[in-house]
Amino acid sequence: MEELFAPPAYEWKRLSPKYRSMRILTSLIVAPIIFTIPAVIVGVASGNWWISGLIWAAAIMIVIIRLAFVTRSWRSWGYVEREDDLYITHGVMFRNLTAVPYGRMQLVEVESGPLERAFGLASVALKTASPETGARIPGLTPEEATRLRDRLTELGEAHASGL
Amino acid sequence: MSASQPQRTSSADQEITATPGPPAPTTGPLKPTERPHPLTPFVRGWLVFVAIAIGWGREIVTNAGGNQFESRGLIWILPVFAVVVLLAAIAGFISWYFTRFVIDDDELRIDTGAIFKKSTKIPFERLQSVDIVQPFAARIFGLAELRLDAGNSTTKLRYLTRSKASRFRDYLLTRAHGHQASIRDLDQQAVASVFTDLGASDQPLVRVSPQRLVVSFLLSTEWLIPTAISIIILVGTVAFEMLPLALGALIPLLIGMLSLIWRRVIGMFNFTLAESPRGLRITRGLTNLTSQSLPINRVQGVKTSQPLLWKPLGWYRVDIDILGHGQDDGENNESTASSVLLPVASLDEVELAVGRVLPGFDLDGIELHPSPKRARWLRLFDFWTLRYGWDDRTLITEQGWFTHVRDVVPHAKTQSVRVEQGPLQRLLRLADVHVHTPRGPVNVVAHQLDQHSARALALSQLDRAQAARAAEREHRAVEMVRRDDHDGDAQLLARFGTGRDQLLGSGGESEVFALDHERVLRLYRGGHEAPQHTAAQLRSLYDSWRGIDIGIELPMIMDMGEHNGRLYTVDRSFSGRNYSTWLRHADMAQRRPALISFLDATERLQQLPSPVPGFARLIGDGAPGQFATLGELLTRMLWGPLQTSRARLERDVPGVSDVWNRLHAELAQRSVAPALVHGDVCPPNAYISQGAQGPVVTGIGDFSPHTLNADPLMDVAGAVIFLELEPYADAPADAAWLEAVAVERHGRDIVGWIDVYRRYYGFYFSNAYEVDPSLYAWCLRQLSR
Repeated sequence: MEELFAPPAYEWKRLSPKYRSMRILTSLIVAPIIFTIPAVIVGVASGNWWISGLIWAAAIMIVIIRLAFVTRSWRSWGYVEREDDLYITHGVMFRNLTAVPYGRMQLVEVESGPLERAFGLASVALKTASPETGARIPGLTPEEATRLRDRLTELGEAHASGL
Repeated sequence: MSASQPQRTSSADQEITATPGPPAPTTGPLKPTERPHPLTPFVRGWLVFVAIAIGWGREIVTNAGGNQFESRGLIWILPVFAVVVLLAAIAGFISWYFTRFVIDDDELRIDTGAIFKKSTKIPFERLQSVDIVQPFAARIFGLAELRLDAGNSTTKLRYLTRSKASRFRDYLLTRAHGHQASIRDLDQQAVASVFTDLGASDQPLVRVSPQRLVVSFLLSTEWLIPTAISIIILVGTVAFEMLPLALGALIPLLIGMLSLIWRRVIGMFNFTLAESPRGLRITRGLTNLTSQSLPINRVQGVKTSQPLLWKPLGWYRVDIDILGHGQDDGENNESTASSVLLPVASLDEVELAVGRVLPGFDLDGIELHPSPKRARWLRLFDFWTLRYGWDDRTLITEQGWFTHVRDVVPHAKTQSVRVEQGPLQRLLRLADVHVHTPRGPVNVVAHQLDQHSARALALSQLDRAQAARAAEREHRAVEMVRRDDHDGDAQLLARFGTGRDQLLGSGGESEVFALDHERVLRLYRGGHEAPQHTAAQLRSLYDSWRGIDIGIELPMIMDMGEHNGRLYTVDRSFSGRNYSTWLRHADMAQRRPALISFLDATERLQQLPSPVPGFARLIGDGAPGQFATLGELLTRMLWGPLQTSRARLERDVPGVSDVWNRLHAELAQRSVAPALVHGDVCPPNAYISQGAQGPVVTGIGDFSPHTLNADPLMDVAGAVIFLELEPYADAPADAAWLEAVAVERHGRDIVGWIDVYRRYYGFYFSNAYEVDPSLYAWCLRQLSR
């Protein structure tokens, strides 16, 4: 099973452990916040606070499920720079493996939102002429992200110069 | 090229120098600039009027659905309407007044803007396509819009008179292809018409008749589904007397259906795919006439689809991905159709059109593999339609039963690949492979493959893509050299007052163009070994024959020179027609006497004097080189070709060294007085005229490095055996017949010698395996006899 998504003859590079911490935090926060608003509205409007209780219970269920998957999801991410292409894999239930040749990369971007910055993380996104490529590696340390960007840009130029 | 280059979405100025600032007329040299046609503001105002009318009409209809319709609304909206149209007209006038453009031999520049001036100058080489659009209102006034695609941005020049627009288009496309032209030369070629916008030189490949278009539309899935839903809603609500309630759902549905009719029928009306001197061109449209050129090097993939109901009719629809066309601005409501190659077509037409956009691809030769049977658990309704396959140039995937879709992507256009597997697929050990292509209708996904095949396909796809890109680069470099040659040729041909259309014939070494009834121009191919030397030797050989009459015309070089490193000679032209072309159309009763006269002519060649005595090589490197015996001479002649073909022959002919040794032993036994041998007396080198008793071969040309002082029987053998190479059905029978005639003349023992020379020429021309596979196949036949 595992070998289906393994890169040929290479070891996956994994994401920073801080990415897992960040995902745990977002898992804990996001669902309760989103569910609290309708819960309060329903409670205030109808006075049936037991409905609000059900909504909160649903939120807690979601938090539990997400927490259960956080580690596996974090571990499912991997990327590897080969001679001619970059491989990215992720997904627990729905797995995928994307391969992007360096020569096809048009743009390599480092992104870091406020939350990511708080955890000292950054992500690298690759763009090709195809909108479906959608290759993005989250949860990298800023040093690794910068290194990866420079390396990919350099490789992209080297491979594209022959085109 | 364009596929691999980064597509910079953010920076159109990489492609076009757009300099905001003072307008060019004040800074640049004084050059006559033009304004678009003065009717432009009216036409644009009309378009605004129509847009408002449609939007407003939609509003009323929607309101009516909610039972809110009041006639009062109609009254207050009219003045607003008038003001808006007036404002639009004023804006249109200002915009027209401040728009000026120059299209001349030096530049293409458009200056716009009343307050913020903008001058857009597009380098000719950057132009990717030039299209003409004729919106309905413009069309009434005989106006057209010129749409210039460069890089990622589209510049519009509107409106010009139709003839002017098409003249500019032809000129700009000529320049875009890197050819020199002058705008004044094109003044006579007004082409676009109000109905089709096809130029006189355009050859229609596929025309979609209105009947077929309408029928195909009525049978298409996109039309049938909303129709069926509308009917169900109508019947259902009318039955329960709740029609007003359903209007809210019905009206958007109806609007959707109308817009579908607009796009698929009105927009595709009179669809014609044509071949123009500058590539493929599409013209279409009932109200808005669009003429669109297809840049073939930007085609990224092809999608053929067939809705279920089209199957009995054998119809298909073909869409293509064109780099850069995915992000149209949507201002023109037909822009989404720019990816349509054929809205509906039969299989023959599809093959013709796809053959043009993917030239040189063998799509039928690709073996398609079905997905494993267990895929039925995930794709209950169409698991049997899932297929995929590839060769070294393309990947094909097929899927779908309700609408069967076949996606084709050349490996060189592959951007990235992805393997995907969901939880159910994991249980069944299946996976999908996505091959990513630039934005467009083509979506290559191999569904539900066995997971190991999926991985193998995905990983090997990148290697294939890389190999294909490398091959494409190489091909392009060769093309570039050829185009340079071609351009050089064009100049030279123009100097002699001739052109490509005057091409009489071409061979491995040179091409021949007609000049006048006395002379022809022979242009030697670049890179051919020492043509100068050869031509000089030929000239002196021909000169030495001047005044000798052997009853047939012989070649004569009147002048020679060099242009752009290409050698050319001006030769005296032969009377009559090329014998090879004549043979193809002649019937047997004409052919057989002509063959005898061909044999006569070749036999006469041995009467020609040779500049050197003995066995000798007359033309080429180291010529004239003399040899003591025929065997030595012929061994020397075979040495060069065998250097290149030896390895091939050892592979393709079992026991080739025995054949070689036998040939040597036989040649050593031949005792004959040396005479002139042409060496390549094939029908393409002969000329035929109508004589008193029928057609007679009256000339033999093209002496060459094959020309020798050797066994005169070689030309007799050549006349017989090279005839087998002629591309008409009875050629082998004619060759056998001619051999019998020759045997009758020269005696039975020449049969053996003809076979010896078959083997000799089999070795001699065997180095043609790359340039002429059919000649190589013939060589193999001679050597295996």
